[in-house]
Amino acid sequence: MDNIAVWVKDVTFRYRERSTPAIQGISFSVKPGELMLIAGASGCGKTTLIRCINGLIPRSYKGELQGEISIEGNSIHNLPLARISQLVGTVLQDPERQILGTRVRNEVAFGLENLGLDRSEITLRIDQALDYIGIQNLRDRETFNLSGGEKQKVALAGVLAMQPKILLLDEPLASLDPVSAQDTLRIVRQMVDEGMCVLMVEHRVEDVLNIRPDQVLLIENGMVHYQGAVEGLYKVVNYHEIKLPAQEVLKRAIQDPPPQDLKVLPSVERQSEETGQPALVQFEDVYFGYETTPAVLQDIQFEIHRGDVIAILGANGAGKTTLVKHAIGLLKPLQGRVLIDGVDTHKLSVAEVAKTLGYVFQSPSHMLFASTVYDELAFGPTNLGHPAAQIEKEVLEAIEIVNLSGKEKEAPLSLSFGQQKRVSIAAVLAMRSRILVMDEPTAGQDYQNYMDFMDAIVQLPNFEAILFITHDIDLAVIYANRVVLMNNGRIVADGKPDQVLNDFNQLRSWNVVPTSLLRLNLDMLPISKRFLRAEALAHLQVS
Amino acid sequence: MLVAWRYRERKSLVQWFDPRAWFIFYGCFLVSTLLFWDIRYLSVFALVALIVLLTSGVEWQEMRRPMLFIISFILFFALLTFLTGRGGIEVYRQEHLITRLILPFSLFGWQPTINITWERTFFALSQLLRVFSLAGMTIVIPYTINPAHYGITFRGLGLPDKFAYAIDLTMRFIPTFGRDFQLTLDAQKARGYELEKLRGGLIAQVRKMAPLIVPVTIHAIIASEDIIDAMDLRAFGIGPRSWLDTLEYHRRDYILIGFSILLLIISLALSFFSYGKFWVPPVFLS
Repeated sequence: MDNIAVWVKDVTFRYRERSTPAIQGISFSVKPGELMLIAGASGCGKTTLIRCINGLIPRSYKGELQGEISIEGNSIHNLPLARISQLVGTVLQDPERQILGTRVRNEVAFGLENLGLDRSEITLRIDQALDYIGIQNLRDRETFNLSGGEKQKVALAGVLAMQPKILLLDEPLASLDPVSAQDTLRIVRQMVDEGMCVLMVEHRVEDVLNIRPDQVLLIENGMVHYQGAVEGLYKVVNYHEIKLPAQEVLKRAIQDPPPQDLKVLPSVERQSEETGQPALVQFEDVYFGYETTPAVLQDIQFEIHRGDVIAILGANGAGKTTLVKHAIGLLKPLQGRVLIDGVDTHKLSVAEVAKTLGYVFQSPSHMLFASTVYDELAFGPTNLGHPAAQIEKEVLEAIEIVNLSGKEKEAPLSLSFGQQKRVSIAAVLAMRSRILVMDEPTAGQDYQNYMDFMDAIVQLPNFEAILFITHDIDLAVIYANRVVLMNNGRIVADGKPDQVLNDFNQLRSWNVVPTSLLRLNLDMLPISKRFLRAEALAHLQVS
Repeated sequence: MLVAWRYRERKSLVQWFDPRAWFIFYGCFLVSTLLFWDIRYLSVFALVALIVLLTSGVEWQEMRRPMLFIISFILFFALLTFLTGRGGIEVYRQEHLITRLILPFSLFGWQPTINITWERTFFALSQLLRVFSLAGMTIVIPYTINPAHYGITFRGLGLPDKFAYAIDLTMRFIPTFGRDFQLTLDAQKARGYELEKLRGGLIAQVRKMAPLIVPVTIHAIIASEDIIDAMDLRAFGIGPRSWLDTLEYHRRDYILIGFSILLLIISLALSFFSYGKFWVPPVFLS
């Protein structure tokens, strides 16, 4: 017991309002200087486990807690919250919602102020924490104006300033671009090496494996599915559910039947620039910026053709979302013009553009409002002035395509996150837009969930072209037939995936981080001739 | 950006003082102004408000929109009370006619007439000065008080930790709320929703706002759970907290506070002895 930071024995918890336990019979122990990765699908009980360790359960979330938890040899039941908060630091998933101070230094000071520490002590600890994370330069900045990666680091500094022995990280990589994610992982590894005990919940298993966790805890339906060293994980995990390094999938997939071939945009013949047909969307020399800041977009020459499945890659702040907002008419270029079916967007309202381009926002909760799924889907076509009989047909078809038949009368907000995402896509399908535009379609969802619906979307018969923004290069590798790379407001590369993504040094200079699947695909390109998912590559190798 | 902080450091009378002292002054000024209807007294208050405005360092360009809104609002209501004579009934009983306007048309046989009286004229003017004083003093606050200092200011004024921090938290999350609103507006516009096309009565209009109001509200509710967790996890509310930022009173602040209290006492006393009630120059009443 002496040298154990977190000790969990047979823990079961049931939320008061639920009939079944969220976690059941979980036991493990972690030593100082150890990193434990906690993995599992959405809703498997990972967050509940974290709440049991940081004391939010049973203090803020009521229910029935059984089993024993001790922190540094003290039973958690006997520790007051003030003590727990100094022993256990927790960084929540969304940094935006846990940063409480208007300025960085106030944010880092928050916990120390609550403990009633001396002002000189607080100032000292703020400087230590900021220096440790390497963000002293942000000290006096307003927290609201920081980038996602910077916010994550500030949140971490705010927790470290309380000098905890144990750090709990709940999906710290979820909202970060690959470069910021690597940065965060590097800091975590450093803290572990210096003796911190870290428990990290994360979907992006592959990324975390790069910093060599000492233990992995795989949870399925609230119970431990696997516990032990990383090597053993590969043997038990279902590679459809948890994303493993491509080489591992390659080894495992040979034993399974080959995946079905993807039929991208089945009803469209791919149109190339040479055919002379006009582009669906055309950017001519587009420039955009705000008064005080440098240009957000410049020299943008870009066309969307029939049959394109375009992945837009680039670091946070590269201009991806601004580019897309120009395509759907939410922003109009300051110089140059954007043409949709040959018409300048300056002459079109957003509603008129919506007939051609349907935009699925990142978070469904920003758009869902109606009391039934049916009404939610009818909203778009009604706004566009479709006749009533046609709307009914469009709505029912859209519901069927996203596989939500039977849920017409349910409230969208009562559905699970994955289902909400599908409703938000169906809402765009019902408008009969010809081009589908998606911003980070996979953010915040587990691997199997998003692979399933990406498979479904790219094979839908409705669309003439699809365009999506993503941080996940593998998504581009698997689904796109064209990759657009942005850096500092410019398009720096545009072409077929195997042409754009083959120079790693160049990619890194654009803040894009190569993945194991990309490496594998480039290695096998002479045989495969095009990029494929690892499961498909496995069978290619055999034949 | 829907919400941007208007605050910045300026060469400004308001910022020369400690925010606590300024809020005390602001409070005393507000109460004192509301005690009077006498245009002579109100002129003094309006003059003070005007000086504060002019020395606030806020450029006309910055506050043009809220100012124009407030000015048209004040003028509209002053005109309304002037024309109808309503509102002033509480402060005067008798009216002295200047002229009577008989409108050159009739509605269903009723000939609208407007009595223009000295009382109504001075009541409208007094109202104008009163509202101007209050609005002028209030409008400079967001431009001149550092949003990061609201919490410590109210703590310094004796409010409990939790209440004072709640104000800090509000300041922190206003821009987040604004951004959520903008995102929702964009998402609904992309579904063909046009805010400009809102028609119908008030209820119908509010109903048609549902695509904006519902997601923003739901988001705020979901977010609040995380915020509460984040505060609990960092030991908020376990005991008296120390505040990192400090505010320091200078001599000028004590002077301002003394002056504010004096102003309030004098105003209360005058009002208690029935000074400063509604007044029309006697020469017009003969």
